[in-house]
Amino acid sequence: MLEAFNFRVILEYMPLYGQCFLATLWMSGLALLGAILVGIVACGMRLGQVRSLSVLAGIFIESIRSTPLLVQLYFFYFGLPTLGIMFPEWVTGVIALTLNSGAYYAEIIRSGIQSIDSGQTEAGIASGMNYFQRMRYIILPQALGMTIRPMLGQAIVLVKDSSLLSLISILELTRAGQLLTSDRFMPAEGFLTTAVFYLILYYMLKWFSSWSEKRLIFREAH
Amino acid sequence: MKTVKLFSVFVSLVMFLGFLGIASAGTLDEIAKRGELRIACQTQGAPFSFVDRNGERTGSSVELCEMIAKEMGVKVKFLNYDWDGLIPALLSKKADMLAADMTPTLKRAMKIAFPDPYMYTGSVIFVKQDSPIKTLKDIKPGTKMAALLGSTGETDAKKAFKDLKFKTYKGGGPLLINAVLSGHAEAGVNDISAVRSQVSNFPPNSVRILDGQLSKSPLAFAVRYDSPDLLRWLDLYFLHISLDGRLDKNLDYWVNSLDWKKDH
Amino acid sequence: MLSFYFQELMRSLPYFLEGAWMTIAVSGLSLLAGTLIGFVCGIIRAGRNKLLRAIIGIWVDLIRGTPFLVQVFIIFFILPSAGIELEAFPAAVIALTNLTASFICEIVASGIIAVPKGQSEAATASGLSNYQQLRYIVLPQAMRTIVPPLVGQYVLLVKDSSVVSAIGVVDITRVGWLTVQRVPEGLMVFGLVGLLYFAICYPLINLSGYLERRMTIVNTKL
Repeated sequence: MLEAFNFRVILEYMPLYGQCFLATLWMSGLALLGAILVGIVACGMRLGQVRSLSVLAGIFIESIRSTPLLVQLYFFYFGLPTLGIMFPEWVTGVIALTLNSGAYYAEIIRSGIQSIDSGQTEAGIASGMNYFQRMRYIILPQALGMTIRPMLGQAIVLVKDSSLLSLISILELTRAGQLLTSDRFMPAEGFLTTAVFYLILYYMLKWFSSWSEKRLIFREAH
Repeated sequence: MKTVKLFSVFVSLVMFLGFLGIASAGTLDEIAKRGELRIACQTQGAPFSFVDRNGERTGSSVELCEMIAKEMGVKVKFLNYDWDGLIPALLSKKADMLAADMTPTLKRAMKIAFPDPYMYTGSVIFVKQDSPIKTLKDIKPGTKMAALLGSTGETDAKKAFKDLKFKTYKGGGPLLINAVLSGHAEAGVNDISAVRSQVSNFPPNSVRILDGQLSKSPLAFAVRYDSPDLLRWLDLYFLHISLDGRLDKNLDYWVNSLDWKKDH
Repeated sequence: MLSFYFQELMRSLPYFLEGAWMTIAVSGLSLLAGTLIGFVCGIIRAGRNKLLRAIIGIWVDLIRGTPFLVQVFIIFFILPSAGIELEAFPAAVIALTNLTASFICEIVASGIIAVPKGQSEAATASGLSNYQQLRYIVLPQAMRTIVPPLVGQYVLLVKDSSVVSAIGVVDITRVGWLTVQRVPEGLMVFGLVGLLYFAICYPLINLSGYLERRMTIVNTKL
């Protein structure tokens, strides 16, 4: 398959790849922000004092974690319309990705928080801080610094999972390769080019996470 | 020195024999030697290749392939991939040939060889039963059209209508019908024979197929260009079975009617 | 009509169970082999040899940064042109083992690095060999940070195993796609798929929670 590798065709498809690359970039970027937010909220609920919220968050996190994204996506895309709820494709896709990764982020943040000594919380209570103040000024700044690596790992998973969005007719990076393959029957060209673009996204994320890691440590030193 | 010389003679002899082996054995010889014909197929849904309720792989192309193996006097082995894996399987020689309801476009034929087509089909448009779209003329610019990724249906619809909003799916024809029924698309376009038999799995009178085909397009199996022997053989095979009526029998049972429904 | 679909789906149940067995076989074998290889690579990655560290680093980046589907295709379709011919099942196991190993390598390496330097310095001072340090001092402490994310990773990999269906391995997801052609009630079919994954993943998630509680023995209150 590699003997007749055709670079010219790849160039011909470059505009399509560029467009798809940007689509993957902004959709997973949006989902990433949303997922971290969902993760923080779900984790706060789970570890908080209100029992019913804690149980609810637990059910959300564990049911998401133990079923595949494909099934969740299918549910959002074909299931919600039967209840009369209809979003454009990209909204459905971003919501599914957000909730999926959100559950994982909740777990990552939880393990970060739990690795912080409980003496810190007690000190916060002693200084008269309420729950939100303790979270905002004591727990989260430390927990976020500690969880950057696993968070990066999940961000990478999210970006690669976004390839499933092609199932609900969203144009993204994986689909560019599939189009090249089915128009021209050149699978090696299609898939290897796709892989290179994902690798670019990977290095962007990695660079961003080491940048923010340095910044957080810098802040702590002050 | 002498051993070195002897060794290099030995090496070149081995290489020569190796080349001879590659050069002389055609794909048909290989199949005969192996005693097994390896066919890459998709499971894209009735009537061409699907898994019936007993868990058996069956369908029009599947039976045609079983007949090929019988005529060759070898066993048949189906390698089951999704669309993404189909072409790599053929090009990497995992499979000798490819049996899917595939349109031999001229662009595709730049990479792989198609024997003569064995049937003709065409794209049709289908809508929800209560849709305001009654005829092909009702399809206005901006209509949301569901199509299979990279399919002939998409190309045909692009030619026939202006400025449609395409929604392209992968994973088989039933997904298109699902998309139309759930309201994600106003209409769908796919191959007439696929639509007709897949609609039969849905509740009766939920889908309406609009009159009129958008195109006439051939379907063919596929082989590699380095298997001219197999290509020749397949042309002859389809000639034989169309002359002795076996092809029509197959198509009448699977494609032109829903007779297969009661057995599978 | 729904009950008719349900009956049809139930007729395919044995087929689904076969798929579940295939998912368990592929992911079970890969998780075992991947854990072994991942530990060895992780220990080397946290070690002193710069060249080996760099090589493993590049390998981890390449595997984590590219879509798994592309890796599966390279192993199954491109290796044959280098003379390595594999059947679908071993190719799937090799691909998933490789993926597992790269993820576990990162987890193990960061677990080892998190052990304070003073520990191994003290061990050197007490005359322990490199192997003894690793075996008795560093690894037992590192295991506390390694094990919980490890099991969490297993859950992700069980779900990633669905990708190998592209090369003809008939796992749960594949059976779902095959069945939905005939029983077009997608929600129901993929609901069953989700249920089967849940049956495999949920015990793993509980195991991870249990191990985490046993190993960290903290009870954080916010």
